[in-house]
Amino acid sequence: MFSVSLKSRNSPLQKLDGRTKLIFLAVIFILVLLFTDLLYITALLALVLAAWFIAKLPTQPLKEMLQFFVWIAVIILVVQVFFYPGTTNLVHISKPVPAIGFSGYLTLEGILFGLAMVLRLVVIMIVAPLMVMTTPLPELMLALVKLKIPYKFAFIMTTALSLLPSIQNRSAIIQQAQLCRGISYDSGGKFITKLKASVSLLIPLILGAFRDSQTLEVAMNSRAFGAPIKRTFLLESRFTPVDILVIAGTFTLLTVGVMLRIRGFGVY
Amino acid sequence: MPEPVVIQCREVSFLYPNGVQAIHNISLSIYRGDYIAFVGQNGSGKTTLVKHFNGLLKPSTGSVTVFGEETRDKKVSYLSRKVGYVFQNPDDMLFSSNVADEIAYGPRMLKVDPELVEAKVESILQELDLKNLRDTHPFALSLGDRQRLAVACALSLDPEVFVFDEPTTGQDFFGSQSIMGLIDELHQKGKTVIIITHDMPIVAEHAQRVIVMNKGEIALEGSPQEVFSQVEKLQSLSLKAPQVTLLARALGESSRTILHIPEMVDWLQARFPVTIKSGEELPHV
Amino acid sequence: MDISLSFHLKDKKMPPLIEFQHVTYAYSKASIPAIKDISFSVEKGEFIALIGPSGAGKSTLCYCFNGSIPQLFGGTMSGNLQVAGCDPFQDGTPVLAQHVGLVVQNARTQLFNVSVIQEVGFGCENLGLPREEILKRVSGALEFVGLTGFEDREPGALSGGQQQRLAIACVLAMNPEILVLDEPTSELDPIGGEQVMEVIARLNRELGKTIILVTHDMDFVAKYADRVLLLCDGSLFMNDVPQKIFSNFELLKNARIRPPQVCEIMHDLKENGYHLPDFPITLEGTLQVLKEMQYA
Repeated sequence: MFSVSLKSRNSPLQKLDGRTKLIFLAVIFILVLLFTDLLYITALLALVLAAWFIAKLPTQPLKEMLQFFVWIAVIILVVQVFFYPGTTNLVHISKPVPAIGFSGYLTLEGILFGLAMVLRLVVIMIVAPLMVMTTPLPELMLALVKLKIPYKFAFIMTTALSLLPSIQNRSAIIQQAQLCRGISYDSGGKFITKLKASVSLLIPLILGAFRDSQTLEVAMNSRAFGAPIKRTFLLESRFTPVDILVIAGTFTLLTVGVMLRIRGFGVY
Repeated sequence: MPEPVVIQCREVSFLYPNGVQAIHNISLSIYRGDYIAFVGQNGSGKTTLVKHFNGLLKPSTGSVTVFGEETRDKKVSYLSRKVGYVFQNPDDMLFSSNVADEIAYGPRMLKVDPELVEAKVESILQELDLKNLRDTHPFALSLGDRQRLAVACALSLDPEVFVFDEPTTGQDFFGSQSIMGLIDELHQKGKTVIIITHDMPIVAEHAQRVIVMNKGEIALEGSPQEVFSQVEKLQSLSLKAPQVTLLARALGESSRTILHIPEMVDWLQARFPVTIKSGEELPHV
Repeated sequence: MDISLSFHLKDKKMPPLIEFQHVTYAYSKASIPAIKDISFSVEKGEFIALIGPSGAGKSTLCYCFNGSIPQLFGGTMSGNLQVAGCDPFQDGTPVLAQHVGLVVQNARTQLFNVSVIQEVGFGCENLGLPREEILKRVSGALEFVGLTGFEDREPGALSGGQQQRLAIACVLAMNPEILVLDEPTSELDPIGGEQVMEVIARLNRELGKTIILVTHDMDFVAKYADRVLLLCDGSLFMNDVPQKIFSNFELLKNARIRPPQVCEIMHDLKENGYHLPDFPITLEGTLQVLKEMQYA
C-alpha cells in the first residue's frame, strides 16, 4: 500500500515539502487528542478526509483499513457506551453495577463519547498513511533530519518502511513453500492447527530478516554509513509559498484549538 | 507403449494480478518416469509453469490435470501428496527444532497415522543419509544438508512427481553433485522428476528431456542431444550448450551431438593420430 | 636528474596494494578459526579469483578487506594486513570504503533505498561530497554499468542481473581502487551473469581497478582471472595462475573443485599419453592447442 508513494506525484499534497506534512501530521495528532467532543473530532476527520481526496489517493486502502478496524471500533463503542458516566438516560438495560461504574442505563453522553473515541482512532489511522503515501521515503527522511531528528534514527525509520514490500514478498514465498509441505493457512481447522501453521511462516521469516540485517549492516558500512562527516543530501528541500501558507494555516488551527480547549470548549 | 501421462497441460495461460502474462497457451504432457529440465532466462515463465503442476498457481485459462484430476478446485495441501515441490532456498521452509520433526511435520499436518509417520521418517533419514543428524537443529546444518532436508520433507508426503526449482543454485561443485545424485536416485526408483536450472552441463549430464522456455512459450523441446544440437537457436535465446558440445561442434562434428566428456575424449583419440603421443618422435613441419 | 630519480624509485620496491601476513580469524563464539594463517599479496590492477568449496572462508576473507572483520563482527584476529595503505584493524569502515568497494553476496539485501539514484548516491552522501560531485559520480557509475535511464526506478523491481550491476555502481561511485565481489553471478541466469562479468572485466581493463572476485563458476575464472587464490577449510591451498590451478587435478580433487570441461578433456588426453604443447583452459585456447597438434 505504501508503494503508491512512488507513483503519481502530481497532486498538491505531493508537491508540499516533507516538513510541512510532518508539521500538519503532528498538529492533527495534538488536536485529536485534545478534544473529546464528537463535533470537533468530526471536523478534524473531515479535514483529514479532504486532504486524502486533495491528494488524489485511491480510496481502496481507506476501505481496507476501515474494514480491518470495524471490530475494534465495536468493542470501543460498547465499552464507552456502557461505562461512560452519562446523565441523560435513554434506555434502561439492567440493575446498576457500581463496581464497574455502570449505572444501568444507556446514556446519550456515553454514545457520543464512544463515537468520538472511535472517530479519534480513525483520524489517527488515516493521517499516518496519508503522510507516507504522499511523501517518497527519501523526502520523509530528509524532512525528519531537517526537523533535527538524528540521521541514524530517521534512516532506520524510513528504511524499515522501505523494506516492507520485500518482507511481504518473502512471506509469500515462504507460504508457498509451506503449502507444498501439506500445511494449509486458510482451513477452518482448530486454533492450534492455525497457530502451528503461522509458526511455520514466522520462524523462517524472522530468521531470514535477521540474516538479511547482518548483510545489510555490512553493505551499509561498505558504503560509508555513519562516517563522522556532515552528510550531504542528494535531495533538496525548499519551502514554497504554498508550504508557508499551509504551515501558517496549520499553526493557526493549533492556536485556535488550544485556545478553545483552555476556555473549556470541545470536551465533555 | 508410452508411459501413462501424469501431468497434462491444455492451452494453459497465466496472468499475474498485475496484468503481466507469464505464460501463453502452453500444452504439454509429462509422462511417468520423465526426467525433464526446464531451461530459459529468468522471466521466461519456467517457474510460473511448474507452479501449476501442484496447484500453487491455477491457470487463468486452459486446464492442468494431475493424475487425471483437474487442479482448479484442489488445494495445494491435497496435491502435495502427488507432486512434491522443493523450493530453491531451503531456509524458506525450515523451522522445526530438529531434523526428524521437520520431516514429520508435513504428514502430521495431513493427519497421517502417527505410527506410519514414525516409520516414514526413519526410512527417509536412512535413505538420505541424515540418520546421524536426526536430533540436530536444521539451522546448524550446512547448506548442502539443509537442501537434503528440504528434499526429505518433500519425500515425507510420498509423491510420485518431484519438482526442483534451481536445486544447485548457490552451491559449490560438491553440493551440486550431492543434490543431483539424490535427484538421479529418485528418478531411478521410478519417480517423475522435473528440474528448473540454468546449468547446462547439469542438463546435459542428467536430464532426458529438455524444455526451453522463452517469453512464456515453449521455444524448443526434445532430448538433450536434440536441443543442444541447435546451437544457433539456443544462442538466439541467450543460452549456451555445454563447452564439450561447443568444442565438438567447433572441431567439425556435425553428425551427432556430444554431451559427455568421456565421449569427447574418445572422439578426439579417434581423430588425432597416435604420432603426437608423448615419447614418440614428432613429425617436423 | 629526472632519470636518476625515476631509476631510484623503480629500485625502491613499492609495497603491494594488498598484503596479508599470517592472518587468522575466528568469529566470536566459534571454536575453530574461519580462516587460518592466510598470507598473500595483490598488486595494483590484478584480477584475482577467490575460489573454494562452500564454507572454505571466502566470504570471511572478503569481509577482511574493508574492516567489516573485525570491526563489525568482533571475534579474534591475528596477523598483519594492509589494504591500500590502510589498516583494517584500525581505520574505520568509512575510510576503507573509499579504497575498497565491497559487493556482498545476494544483491537484493544490499539495496535498501527507494530509487536507483538514491541507492547509488548513498555512499557519496555519507562521505559528505558536494551535491554536484555526487550527481556527476552517480551518472558516471550508472553509465558504466549500463543502467543509465534507470535513475527513478525502484531497485527492488529490477531484474537480478540489473540489481547486481546496480550494487556494483553503488560502490563504484565512491571511486575505490579495489572492488571485492562475493559471488555476484551465482543467482543469475546465463545472460545476466555474462553481463555482470563483462562489467567487472571492464572495471579491471578500462578503469584499472583491482578485482577480487569470489565465484563458483570456473569458466569465468578461466576467462577473466590473472591469478587464483584457492581456499579450502580456511587455509590458502594455492595461489597461482588459473592454468596451474586447473591442470593440477590432484589438488582440484582435494579442494572439491570442478575445472572447466575443456580442462577435464585435456587432462584425460594427457592421461592417455598425449603430449600437449600447452594446457588450455578456455574453449578458444583448446581449439588453438588442438590445431597445433593436428598440424604439428
